[in-house]
Formats: sequence, C-alpha cells, structure tokens
Amino acid sequence: MKTLLAGAAIALMGLTQTAAADGHANYPERPIMMMVSYGAGGATDFQARIVTMTSGNEDALGMPIAILNKPGAGGRVGWNWLAGQAEADGYTLGAYNVPHFIAQSIKGGVEYSTASFEPIANWGADPAVLVVGKDSEFNTLQDVVDFAKANPGKLTTSGAGLFVGHHIAALQMEKAGDMKMAYIPTKGGGAAAMKAVIAGDVMAGINNLSDAFRAAQAGNVKILAVADLERNEFLPDVPTMMESGLAVDNASVNFRGVMVPKGTPQGIIDKLAATVPTMFENSRVAGKMKAGGSPMHVMNRDEVLAMWAAREETLKELLAGL
Amino acid sequence: MRLIRQLLQAAQFRRFLLKIPGAPANIATTLDGHAMALNGEGAKALQLSFLSSAVGGVFGVLLLIFLTPVLAQWALAFGPSHLFWLAILGVTVIGSLDSASVVKGLLSGCIGLWLATIGFDDIMGAQRFIFHPSLGGGINIIAALIGLFAIPQVITMFAKGHKNDGTEAIQVQKHPIKSAVSELLRYKRAMGIGTITGSIIGLIPGVGGQIAGLVAYDQSKKFSPDKDKFGTGHPEGLIAAESANNAMVGPSLVPLLTLSIPGSPTAAVLLGGLLIHGIFPGTDLFDNHPDVAWTFINSMLIGQILMCIFGLYVAGMAARVAQVPQSMMAAIVLGLAVFGSYSVQSSMGDVYVMASLGVMMYFLERFGFSAAPLVLGLILGPIAESNFIQGSMIATATDGLAPYFFTGPLNLFLIAVVVLSVLYSGYMELRARRYTSKEEIMG
Amino acid sequence: MSNITLPRFQHIIGSGIVAAVGASVCYISYTQQPSEAFLFPRLIATVFVVLALWTFVKACLGWTKVGNGISLTQFKNLAPGLIIALIYIFWAAKGLGFYTATSIAFFILLSLYDPAPHRVLKSWVKRIITTACFMAVMYGLFALLLKVYTPREIFF
Repeated sequence: MKTLLAGAAIALMGLTQTAAADGHANYPERPIMMMVSYGAGGATDFQARIVTMTSGNEDALGMPIAILNKPGAGGRVGWNWLAGQAEADGYTLGAYNVPHFIAQSIKGGVEYSTASFEPIANWGADPAVLVVGKDSEFNTLQDVVDFAKANPGKLTTSGAGLFVGHHIAALQMEKAGDMKMAYIPTKGGGAAAMKAVIAGDVMAGINNLSDAFRAAQAGNVKILAVADLERNEFLPDVPTMMESGLAVDNASVNFRGVMVPKGTPQGIIDKLAATVPTMFENSRVAGKMKAGGSPMHVMNRDEVLAMWAAREETLKELLAGL
Repeated sequence: MRLIRQLLQAAQFRRFLLKIPGAPANIATTLDGHAMALNGEGAKALQLSFLSSAVGGVFGVLLLIFLTPVLAQWALAFGPSHLFWLAILGVTVIGSLDSASVVKGLLSGCIGLWLATIGFDDIMGAQRFIFHPSLGGGINIIAALIGLFAIPQVITMFAKGHKNDGTEAIQVQKHPIKSAVSELLRYKRAMGIGTITGSIIGLIPGVGGQIAGLVAYDQSKKFSPDKDKFGTGHPEGLIAAESANNAMVGPSLVPLLTLSIPGSPTAAVLLGGLLIHGIFPGTDLFDNHPDVAWTFINSMLIGQILMCIFGLYVAGMAARVAQVPQSMMAAIVLGLAVFGSYSVQSSMGDVYVMASLGVMMYFLERFGFSAAPLVLGLILGPIAESNFIQGSMIATATDGLAPYFFTGPLNLFLIAVVVLSVLYSGYMELRARRYTSKEEIMG
Repeated sequence: MSNITLPRFQHIIGSGIVAAVGASVCYISYTQQPSEAFLFPRLIATVFVVLALWTFVKACLGWTKVGNGISLTQFKNLAPGLIIALIYIFWAAKGLGFYTATSIAFFILLSLYDPAPHRVLKSWVKRIITTACFMAVMYGLFALLLKVYTPREIFF
C-alpha cells in the first residue's frame, strides 16, 4: 500500500509540474469554483451568480464558474476556509465583501487578513442606507439624530451583524453625530434586519441600498440617507449623510468582488485580472444587475489593492476604541 | 416555478422506506411512515402521504391566493420575543415526541440544542466548542440529518448479521387507491390539525416549514384517542405531518410576495429567480406584474395536483425499495450517505460530522434516546438563540427585559401554551414512571 | 440494584457518558470568553447537565425502563461492518478517492453480510456485478447529473 501511495504522490507531483511548466497558457482547463461566504439567495450570492454567468463564453474564461456557498458567522466560515483549506490552484476563487472581512481580521479571532488573499477585480458597490418604517415619525436624518441625542442608547437600529458594513456605518454615525445608538445585529443577513424595520421591532435600520430600494419601492420603508460620497443613481432624491450634516464617508460601502487565496500562481492571477473585469462589463451582466436593483462598480486589480489598503487604515482607526 | 413542490415530493420515497428524511421538513413523517413500511404497508403509507400532501398543499395555496394582504400583517406580528417563545414551544414539543421516556426526549433535545451552538457564533463571531477544524462552520443540518437517521439504520442492518437476512424481507401489500381515499376521510381530525397548523407556522418568517410537520404531529397526537399507536405505523400521525408540511408551502411565500422578505431559504432562492427577471416582489407585485404573480400561483396549484397523481402512480413500485436484501441495502445507504453529505458543500468535514453523529446516535438509540428530538433541537437552536439575543438587546435599549418578553397578548398566549406543554410532559413522565416501576417489580 | 443485567450495565455506562459530556459542556460554557457569546450555551448547558444527571442517577438506581442494549451476538455481527465503514469514511474516501474507496467498501460489506454462500463462484460474480452496477449509478448520479467534484486520488 505504501508504494502505491508513494507512486500516486509522485504522479501527482508530476502533474503539478507539467501544469506549471506551460506557464498556465491553457488555464482554465476545467470548470472553476467560486466560494461565496453567504447563503444562497442573499445579495452577494445573487450578484455573484449574475456576474459570473458569462464566464463560459470564449471571450471570457471559456469555462463556467460554479458558485459554492459556505455561509456562517457573518462570512468568517467561508473566508477562513478560503484562506486555510482551499487549494491555491486557480480553480478556487472567492467572493470578497469589503469592509466585512477587513474589519473582522482587524477585530481578530479569524485566520485571514488582507495578506491572505490576492484581489482579482471588483464588480459592485452597495452603499449602506438608513431606513425607517413607513409609519415612522422620523422623516429626515436630522430627526433621527435629534432623537438619538435626546435619548442616548434608546434608538434601536438593526443591521446585518457585527463588523459588517452596516455596523461600520452605525459606528461612523455615532462618532460623527457624537451620539449613542442601540445597534441590534441580526442573524440571517439584510433580510432579517429589514424585517425588523418593517415590522416595527426596531425604530430604524441600516441596510443595503439594493434591498432597501426594493422595500421602498414596495412602500414598506422610507430611506432617509445614503452613507456614500455622492447620491446613488437608483435613489436620486435621497441625500447623502454628508449633505444632511453628518460627516460619514464611504468607508461602510459594501464592495463586492473576486479574489483568490495567496499562493495562487502569478500567471493565473495575471490572466484572471486581465479577463475578469471585461467579463463584468458584459452588457448582459449589466442589464441583469440593473434589473435586480444592484449597483455595479467595476474596478481592476490595482484599484482594488489600493482600495483594500485605504479601507484597512480607516477601519483600524475606527475600531481602535472598541 | 414548481421547484419547491417537486423538491419536497421527491424527498418522499427515500425517506419512509428507509427512515431517512430527504428534507429537514420530513422528520415527522418518518416517525410513522417507516413503521408502516416495516409492517408491509409501504404502498399505503406513500399513497396516504401523497393524498394528504395534496390536500394540505392546495389549502395552503388557496390561503395564499385569497388572504395574502391580511396574512402579511399577521406574519409581521411575530417579533423576536414571540419567535423565541415559539422556539421554546418547539423544545417542549420535543418532550412528548419520544414515547419511551420524556426526560430522555428532553435530554436528546438539549443535546441537539448544544450541537447547534457549535462553530462560530453568528453575531459575535466567537469560537464555540470547535474541537476539530471541520466544525468551524458549525454542524451542517443536512449532513446531520443523513448521519442521525441513515447511519443507525445501516448499523442495525449490520447487527443482524448475514444469517437472519432472508427471513427479514418485507412483503409489500398491495393497497388500492380507493381505500386510501376513504382512509383519509376517516382521519379528518388529523387532516384538519395538520393543514391549519402548517398554514399558520408557514407564515412566520424565519421559522419556515421545518417544524410545521413536527408540531402538527405532536398536536394531533395530543388530541387523538389512539395516542399509543403513534410511532407504530399509525396513519393519523403520517397524515397530520404530511398535510402540515405542504400546507406551509403556500403561506411561507406570503412574506416574500407582499413584503419582499424571504421567510425561508427556499423563498430566498426564489427571490433571486424573480430578481433576475427584473421583478421585485412586494405589495405592488399583483398590480404591476399580475401575469407573473398569477402564473406562479396557478402553477403551484397545478403542480400540487400533478405531483399527487404521479406519486400515487409510482407508489406501488417505489414501495419495493424495501424488498432489496438488507446486506445490499446497508452498503447502498452507506455509499449514498457519504456522497450525499459530501456534495452539500463539497466538504470532507461534513462527511466526518455525518459519520460521528451517526455512530453516536446508534448507541444512544440503544439506550432509549431518539433522533427526532435531537434534530428538532439542532434546527430550533439557532432560531431560539438569535431571537433571544436580539430580543434582549432591544429590551435593554427600550422598556427592559421582563416587560419585553412577558407582556402583550401574543407573548402571554405562547407562554400559556409552553406551560401547558410542560405540564403535559410532566404528567406523561409520572405515568411512565409508574408504568416502569410496576414492570420492574414484576420482572 | 441486585441483578445487574448486561443491558442495564450498558445503560449506566451510556448515560454516564452523556452526563460527563453534559458536565464538560457546562464547564466550557461557564469559563470561556467572551461571555456574551456563551450566554445561550450556558442556558442550554445548565438544563442539559441537570437532565443528564437525573437520567444517570435513575439508571444507577434502576428506575428507568432499559432499552434492549446490545447483545454480544449483535456486537459481534456489527463490529466488522462498523470497522470497515469507519476506515472507509475517515481514511479511504479521501485517501483513495471517493469512487475507488466506495467500490472497495461496497464489495467488502456485500461479501461480509450477503447470505449467499462464499464457496460458490457464482455468488462472487454476482457480487462483482452488483458493485459495478451500483458504482455506475453513483457515477451517473453524482458526477454526470449533479456535477459534484469528489476527491479523486488513484484511479477516479
């Protein structure tokens, strides 16, 4: 048995070597897998499926990308897996959510940091928005700030977990407005946090723009402000927090994109970095994303590297006191 | 669009004949379905289950059609405190599920609740009870189900050795569909309880249909004159569980279609499908896209009926699965269990978890513990925990813990049901002890 | 208390193990940090340990109805199958590849538990054919239909 195993090991090594020798010219030779660290049907999963659907085309990668969901603990489970257990052979990609994974790595208790991954490209930017129920007495951001200042710690505000974009936005609001809110993290992502707002379980909520846009269209919530640098094309009438006098920048914007684990051959990274952004810009992809109410924002590898570094610095400062 | 329906129904065959639930919602059905298959009534069990699913399912879809706007408000009435009490109610239901001993039933439930907390905690991100790296993601519910139900069956087949094999072959009795229909009419009470319980539970976002079958099973057991027959292949339990399982499908889409909140994982996938076509479910879905909304609902209705006809047609054939020799069955189920648990998330860790839980369950079953309450605990654990944490956070920010959890008509109603359930379990326990001590003396 | 039968002895051991697990779960949840994350586990563990100790005491005093336990013959019957199954799951599936390991395990289990005589060539041929059919179905179902990429090592 031992010789058999040794033989198998040698054969495997031989395989890897031949693959390396040809400079990955033939990559990809089989379907690629992309890990999404949130459940099927969530915003990240939904968008990941759309932006990768043209991957099998000849002008893209020429091989389909299959989505593998590894949900749990606000994404930690999936990213831990990608950093520690996934094979860095170019056939395992992962979807990232910034600021989530960076904030989690700063907070500690996980096996990854920005150094564990190599970004490929960014496909979307989903800002956090402040929502209140349709019958709420709050009509502007100022109303909310006034209430929170008058009643420290009484303004219950739902969001999808701790150390995710929503939580960062809440922390920034508290800092900018010099006030104290009661941030209520929910389990089960944006949907559960939104349900709490619609049902009146909480007084306000911070949620994804894409989900809030849908709920507002259905007439269930009012969107009071966007936590971004400029107004969003989906919501031209909603002011940014800065316009309303609260100094909150775009640190909480949920950037979604593709990355690979560290150790993936440079040749493959280069090939992916060259092909994937053009794949995202495909008109079919853009059409579906718009129909689904998901804002797109394509960035190439160098831009994402810069964005990660900038975000890490802001978050370290923001989370230092916690 | 008929995906949900088909997924639920396809799971049917595998589960009774082998006592392996195909989907989490099916646990309750296996309790009596498997016993019926062992009695040679596999065909009857399948027929009854398809018929009662169809009745429950059609009722659920009709509710969806006529009462959507009203039901949407109802679904929202359940806040964190109510969902917490509802999960606790589920835990007390555990007690009476296990007929051997109420304490062991509750203890199995506790083991399940504990297993559910393994892995990274969802809100804080803290590591809890991670003894092995493959437990980091927590225990996958599908892998756990396969392990807890299939592996003990496999080991039981091993334990019989190869000599007894031939004599154990089960004769499958033929069963005319007409008599299945009349049987169904005879158990109107179970049918009604199942359908109504399923519809109500299906509405509540977050709880989903996973416990609908179990709660309905338990309720019909409490109301039935033939309590003792439950679990031994009694059609009533099967009918209640199965009608509830399907009655919940229609109402579970109410929060999605009216409020755009997916109430269950299946509904979340469905939401994705609608979004890709540029359709936003919400209050105006019926105004803006009436064609889509109605096609969808009608296809659910037609799907319900077609699946019933198809199911009845193949029931006779499928029941023969039980006739495969046990030696081969054990090996087949083992292989399927390994491949099945691996393919959930392409993870070896899930296979290890499946096997460990399965072997543990075999030995626990020998000592009077049972898998159903354990699984219920595993499913309800996260619901109870997240609503407890969320509720207590809201409560501390507003009017305090006690008023938040203990006031309001809905809270009080749920607490009353929980208390009654506990008292009932206690009474059962006392009766059981009297019974056993008598037996001990005689023995 | 007097006549301790095999099932009752097993029952005491079994409930003792459950009680020990309960106690250690309780200990871990009350000592680990952060305490907010262990709030709910503490709640469960407390109930867990109380019920487990109750069951254990009842088992020792012989108050409960004892299940059938495992007889010596049953244990002798299941041991080889269980050992093969455990080797298959915990080592061979990954070490040899899913399909190779499953074929081997399937064939061994079939040979162990099949009532057909072991001296007759025909029954061996039948076993090989059954194994091949099963593997073909599995390959068709998982590799072709569901497109699951299972670990492959030696052959496939």
